[in-house]
Amino acid sequence: MALRVGCAAPPGKALENKTGTWRVFKPVFDPETCNRCGICAQFCPEGCIRETDEGIFEPDLDYCKGCGICEEVCPKESIRMEKEEK
Amino acid sequence: MRELRIHGRGGQGSVTAAELIACAAFEGGVFSQAFPAFGVERRGAPVQAFVRFSDRKIRLRSQVYEPDYIIVQDSTLIRDVDVFNGIKPGGIAIINTEKTVRDFHVPEDVTVYTIDATTIALEELGLPITNTTLMGAFAAATGEIKLESLENALRNRFSGSMAEKNARAAERAYKQVGGAA
Repeated sequence: MALRVGCAAPPGKALENKTGTWRVFKPVFDPETCNRCGICAQFCPEGCIRETDEGIFEPDLDYCKGCGICEEVCPKESIRMEKEEK
Repeated sequence: MRELRIHGRGGQGSVTAAELIACAAFEGGVFSQAFPAFGVERRGAPVQAFVRFSDRKIRLRSQVYEPDYIIVQDSTLIRDVDVFNGIKPGGIAIINTEKTVRDFHVPEDVTVYTIDATTIALEELGLPITNTTLMGAFAAATGEIKLESLENALRNRFSGSMAEKNARAAERAYKQVGGAA
């Protein structure tokens, strides 16, 4: 995303700036042990964890920066951070 | 005069790497200069850092536009930034990746060394901060700095176990790239 000096950014502009490539580790969710509490989604600083129609939680890897907070807060330990190939 | 451009992301230590390479080169008896250029000063955002080496005093203060060497700390940057921009014929590029050279669109007459610095850094430091590892690779690929000078620069910058861990990471990369060269 490139903005020139003096230019105002329209709403939603940050969506163009995909931050997923910053990641070293990606979160892997285990739907078997997940109890659907949604704490991961509340804590995600990027706001990129969504509840799917099936009621499970999934990160949007286009934006996930791999901070690992979701793994830290998950009470069921059903999120694991895995190194991604780059 | 030889010039190096380091491409990284905020938090990966590109600026520190540039400074340490300049210190190590200076110890090796040449004049050197290091400075960074940021876009947005934010973790994860693309960062460039520059180093110049010369046998004579360096008067030039501009950014490096035609580097002899480039270091890419994060191969995903290649999609966002034209990292090979302006590289001189016969130049050397060091890319941190698990992939091979064939996966990248490299200009002709540029020698590319790939090294999985993230894995080395994770094993030696416990953190995915790849700057010191890539400095070892740079020393082996270009011969611009000696491993010994590099380790001295690391020990001056860091203390105790952190210095040793970084020195080990640099040495591993040095041997890995030196073996491949």
